[in-house]
Amino acid sequence: MSNVLHGLLLAGGKSSRMGCDKASMVLGDGGLTQAGRALGLLRQFCGTVYLSLREGQPVPAGGEGVPVLRDAPGAQGPLSGILAAFHQAPGAAWLVLACDLPLVRPGVLARLAARYAEDPSSPFVAYASALDGLPEPLCAIYGPSAFPVLARHAARGHFCPRHILLEESVPLLALPEADTGALTNVNTPQDVAGARTGAREVRVTWFGHLAEQRGLREESVATKEETVGDFRREMSDLHRLDLDPGVVRVAVNDEFAFDGHRLQAGDRVVFLSPFAGG
Amino acid sequence: MFQLGNHPIDPAPLRRELAADDCGGFVFFEGRVRDHHEGRTVTGLHYEAYRELAEKEGRRLVREIALKHGVRAAAIHATGDLTPGDLAVWVGAAAAHREEAFAACRELIDAIKARVPIWKRESYVGGSSGWVEGCACAARHGEGR
Repeated sequence: MSNVLHGLLLAGGKSSRMGCDKASMVLGDGGLTQAGRALGLLRQFCGTVYLSLREGQPVPAGGEGVPVLRDAPGAQGPLSGILAAFHQAPGAAWLVLACDLPLVRPGVLARLAARYAEDPSSPFVAYASALDGLPEPLCAIYGPSAFPVLARHAARGHFCPRHILLEESVPLLALPEADTGALTNVNTPQDVAGARTGAREVRVTWFGHLAEQRGLREESVATKEETVGDFRREMSDLHRLDLDPGVVRVAVNDEFAFDGHRLQAGDRVVFLSPFAGG
Repeated sequence: MFQLGNHPIDPAPLRRELAADDCGGFVFFEGRVRDHHEGRTVTGLHYEAYRELAEKEGRRLVREIALKHGVRAAAIHATGDLTPGDLAVWVGAAAAHREEAFAACRELIDAIKARVPIWKRESYVGGSSGWVEGCACAARHGEGR
């Protein structure tokens, strides 16, 4: 017997860091809001799709007309949304997706659905984070047998879905090769800018007279440049700094780097004006 | 052995460590804060280091030069606010004979100035201050690495 698969879009997060409602934000995709885009994805795999919202929270743009499930009492955060879904339909399996994962593509959900179809008695089907290997609970399938497990944890005051999946020793899937960054969430307007443009976020530290000219010691920069040399030119033009490659060296992740070195998201970049020790 | 230390630094432990009985020659260099620079009276120096890379590169230099000359070598550089007469950097090289010790000590202090990411700002009488221009040859020096 196979269970029906319902979709649940989690849009109840408070978005305090964003300064506005994440779910209503448009990130490209032909003008769709994050909520609208994610609902469209879920509809490809689920007959019925619900929108999970906090008590009293207005429906985000793009979610109009979608049935709403309000957070269940007795839990906190996303877990209260997932429990509300099981109260609505205890016999269904739920494909749960957070609305702040703009890089999720259909293939990511397809792999979850295919794995669940292989064994509908599984309580959880989830990916391992490409970053730290930990479970990714907010893009996952929760089978009907997950309901009592989640309820038991909630009753003990355990509300963190990631910890619950860890404690339940859930076997984890690897993300599809082309989508290892798919579960990167966006929490800040800078993240959104990065997700929108394909830019990567690097941390730049300044020392000596360059710190003085730049007027700060540390900053986070979203750049579309791929190499150290191109990033050097971008920063030099942007801030009118003399970063001449014959004079200023560059370090990436605390090691000297050539201009041809390729930047990765999260790299620490330091521009090194001529040294004057001794 | 290469260390970065907040002012004041104490080279005595490094000196004890280098002075082995098979070393007949021990040369050390002390770089001290000078009270003048290009005709101006210096009241103090501020040393700033990119610690993670400075320690890594400093250790590499010491190993490189010790191996090249067959000596025992060590160095320590101060960070923070120093005044004239304070010890800014100490470099030591110990070897069986004096030639290698002199050569290694000289080469190590030159290399530290050129290759270790440390910068200094001088303060002058009257309250003005400025970053001391380093040697741009450091950028080219690193190209072969």
